[in-house]
Amino acid sequence: MEEFEETPRQHYTEAQKNSIFNNEFMPHINSMYNFAYRLTLDGDDAKDLLQDTYLKAYRFIESFQQGTNAKAWLFRILKNSFINDYRKKSKEPSKVDYQDVETYYNSEDVDRQITPDLRVEALKDMIGDEISNALNSLDVDFKTVIILCDLEGFKYEEMAKILDIPIGTVRSRLHRARNLLKEKLSTYAKQMGYKNA
Amino acid sequence: MSTPDPKNMKQDCSNKRECLEMLQLILDGEATAEQKEHFLKEHLEECMPCYKNYHLEVAIRQLLKTKCCHEAPQQLVDDIKTKVIQNLSRS
Ligand SMILES: [Zn+2]
Ligand SMILES: [Zn+2]
Repeated sequence: MEEFEETPRQHYTEAQKNSIFNNEFMPHINSMYNFAYRLTLDGDDAKDLLQDTYLKAYRFIESFQQGTNAKAWLFRILKNSFINDYRKKSKEPSKVDYQDVETYYNSEDVDRQITPDLRVEALKDMIGDEISNALNSLDVDFKTVIILCDLEGFKYEEMAKILDIPIGTVRSRLHRARNLLKEKLSTYAKQMGYKNA
Repeated sequence: MSTPDPKNMKQDCSNKRECLEMLQLILDGEATAEQKEHFLKEHLEECMPCYKNYHLEVAIRQLLKTKCCHEAPQQLVDDIKTKVIQNLSRS
């Protein structure tokens, strides 16, 4: 597994391992669960994915250098586990190949069409699950960058490492993702009766 | 940022897309001090579409943070701890 081959192997005593697990890994469990849930959109799958990720993290703990960015390291394991083990068996087969999606949304044409004129007032009335549903509805790769950046506060450089993509791609993907999210929200706003939302 | 007077603001932005990208760079904490200074002081207060975009971006981020973070069920947290301990004794 490549994510475990980058740092020189550490040597920890059992006590150190436990301390790392409890003090550096466990504090991120809520963020990790939220990520797992948003990716799988299924309570049971989220549970399994989270459990697999933490067991894997423990198993490969000597690939983690104590005191470095545990959260980014864990998110990367979870993301890779999702791609390798869950995405394939996902109930909803992806309709388009990801590369096509990215190429499509990177074309200038689409950017000109997607200039959702959403207003702050309309957002203030979204007190239910609108935003959550809008986020969940996005393609996995777009949803992921919004979660990492806006919910978890990762820097672009950390996101590039978690996702194994260049920083430029992080930026452009985030820009598309936010446009798509706004487009969704503006559809909801229209349904709620905002004419020019 | 002070509240600008709408009467003195441009109603159209000549490079909306670039501005939105700069806005996001700033809100993501990835812009340089100069970029920030230039955009916030010299552009935002004069340009209505960008001023609105700024507030929209901020509002969406707040909404995401308050509505899209769910905590892990305590049972699951306990299960994971137990499984790791079991794994330990097996290895
Ligand atoms: Zn402008
Ligand atoms: Zn500008």
